[in-house]
Amino acid sequence: MSVSEDVRSLALGCGAIGLSTWLFRQSPQVSNTTTVSLSFLVVVLLAAARAHLWVAVTLSIVSMVVLNFFFIPPLGTLTIADPQNWVALLAFLAVSLVASNLSTVARDRRREAEMRRDEVGRLFDLSRDVLLITESDAANTLLARFILRRFDLEYVAICIPLDAEWTRFESGSLGSHGLSSDDLTAAFSAAEGVPEVERTAHRRLTVGDRDVRMVPIRVGTRPFGLLATAGRPIEHGTLDALAGLVAIAIERTHFLDQQKRAEVASQREELKSALLASLGHDLRTPLTAIRVAADNLRSEWPNERERLEQSELIVAEVDRLTRLFENILEMARIDAGAVTRDARWVAPSEIVDAARSRVDPALRGRRIEISAESERLVRLDPRLTAAALSQLLENASRYSTPATSIHIGATVNDRELTITVRDHGDGIPPGDLPHVFERFYRGVRARTSRSGTGMGLAIARGLLAVEHGQISAENCADGGARFTIVVPADVK
Amino acid sequence: MTRPSRILLVDDEVVIQRALAPLLRSQGYEVDVVGTGKEAVDAVTDRSPDLIVLDLGLPDIEGTEVCRRIRRESQAPIVILSARGGEADKVAALDIGADDYVTKPFGSEELLARIRVALRRLEQSEGPELERLSVADLVIDYNRRRVLRGDEDIRLTPKEFELLELLARNVDRVLTHRTILKSIWGGNAVDQPEHVWVLVAQLRKKIERDPSSPQYLLSEPFVGYRLVSNPGRP
Repeated sequence: MSVSEDVRSLALGCGAIGLSTWLFRQSPQVSNTTTVSLSFLVVVLLAAARAHLWVAVTLSIVSMVVLNFFFIPPLGTLTIADPQNWVALLAFLAVSLVASNLSTVARDRRREAEMRRDEVGRLFDLSRDVLLITESDAANTLLARFILRRFDLEYVAICIPLDAEWTRFESGSLGSHGLSSDDLTAAFSAAEGVPEVERTAHRRLTVGDRDVRMVPIRVGTRPFGLLATAGRPIEHGTLDALAGLVAIAIERTHFLDQQKRAEVASQREELKSALLASLGHDLRTPLTAIRVAADNLRSEWPNERERLEQSELIVAEVDRLTRLFENILEMARIDAGAVTRDARWVAPSEIVDAARSRVDPALRGRRIEISAESERLVRLDPRLTAAALSQLLENASRYSTPATSIHIGATVNDRELTITVRDHGDGIPPGDLPHVFERFYRGVRARTSRSGTGMGLAIARGLLAVEHGQISAENCADGGARFTIVVPADVK
Repeated sequence: MTRPSRILLVDDEVVIQRALAPLLRSQGYEVDVVGTGKEAVDAVTDRSPDLIVLDLGLPDIEGTEVCRRIRRESQAPIVILSARGGEADKVAALDIGADDYVTKPFGSEELLARIRVALRRLEQSEGPELERLSVADLVIDYNRRRVLRGDEDIRLTPKEFELLELLARNVDRVLTHRTILKSIWGGNAVDQPEHVWVLVAQLRKKIERDPSSPQYLLSEPFVGYRLVSNPGRP
């Protein structure tokens, strides 16, 4: 409550006293000393309830003086003849003191409750913020920023001791000063010996010209860090609650982290078993076909045509196995970081030709349309680019019917080479689209029927990454899929 | 001359079809080829094959389920081609009613032998009930419940004879642990394979010349046991 309000209360009180004096003087039949003094008492009480003590005291003195001058004989003088009137004056003073004290206490309570409510509101908002933190890397810094914002502070730091060093996640600033490790260590070791409930665990510290308050962050009863705040003063209890919330938030991100890691691990396990299953199938099928066909060739029964058929089957399956092993090796080389970039000047059409010849058997009988830049040369690693492209060609051929054509486009701008492969198959199911470049991922449809290990596109991406190139997939509006390779390159 | 046996080959891999179909035809079988479980079930109804060669890894229906559906339509023997490393699928299929299996990659002879055994069993089961069976130099007399090696009378306990008879009536065919447990000890014993191990060990001591490297009563690891009619040949 401000001074101006007090002054206004005082003025109002004086006015009320003046008005009642005038009214009582007009009608002497009701104005005995008792009625007048009771009326004045009401004014003093009202003032005490609304304003500070000094207003009530001043009003009670004014009331006393007015009562004495106008209503207590001898009238017109400020002398008190009757000792009874001393009692009246004292009663005025006592009432004003008691009433104003009571109202002050009530007002303080209310203000405190409002502040509490405000801080509980802030804590609630903060807890909502905490629930929104999903990313664990920046979690603590984010948390500090949330506290700073929600509590209108100037500086917030979450400090956690790590290997004898303090890690500080800060928001806001302490001017040119910072929290020294020694201060933190002192506050922390003090907190370690103090039970959770005691406020001695709180520390005040002056850094520069700022008052910094530190409170331990505890899991259970054991402190594992410190929360430092500066700026607006915060209630002790709120500060403890805040530290508790910080502890919960840190624990929560920790659990989220663990959960994420467990998910990744289980995904990896799934991948591994998927790979094993698909490798097992992809190895055993050609091996069985080769084994049986070889037995057939050794037997008496096949005629000339059948022998040719069986030997062709063997050759085709050996090719398939060779491709599989090449892919496994390529993948292993990418994993081992053994793929290096060896750039040279090359025409885009050369890359396309090289890629085609790598997967010649798969493309046999297919109509291939090529529109490749022929004017300019690019400087990049033609082996890597062609190997990546060949994976796309093999896929395009595998996932579209032989009657349809495959289109290869190669264009060059000032900074990069762009190659597109477009087929006219069924396209990529939308659910698979985000995953096609993941290792061992096989589309919903491919998983059940067609051969393949889910390595091709992952290899393509891995090879291109060595050249800082990129690969993307999309479905065309008029059917079929389009894959695009972009490789940064010098151009001339 | 009897009509040629009709075999239904079920495998989704074209290369396997192209290698196996001519092989089977060369042995005088009539061969139908299909690539999915649904087609297989339909073909069983339409063409009533004498034997089915079934790949467990079909694209549309789980292999064991295909097995079950075929069994609803036909009692023709089923020989499983299993490309999976796990024995569980094989055992499940055998328990459902498949007769035998070969594991990919396999040789022609291995598959042909399994097919011959399965077809022969089919013929025998259609003929009159046998009174005795000769397995190499063993003669098993079902009626008198005796086993002879030449003139030597091999004395078996009733349980041992029961096991030998079961295996002999399914000679050359693999019987899963579960099948053996069920038919000798009843349905409550199927979770106690140790019964089989013990009984097989006892039986081997009596019928095998060298129980540590058995010639007649062979283990199929993780699957079951098989009594072979021609020891030393697949």
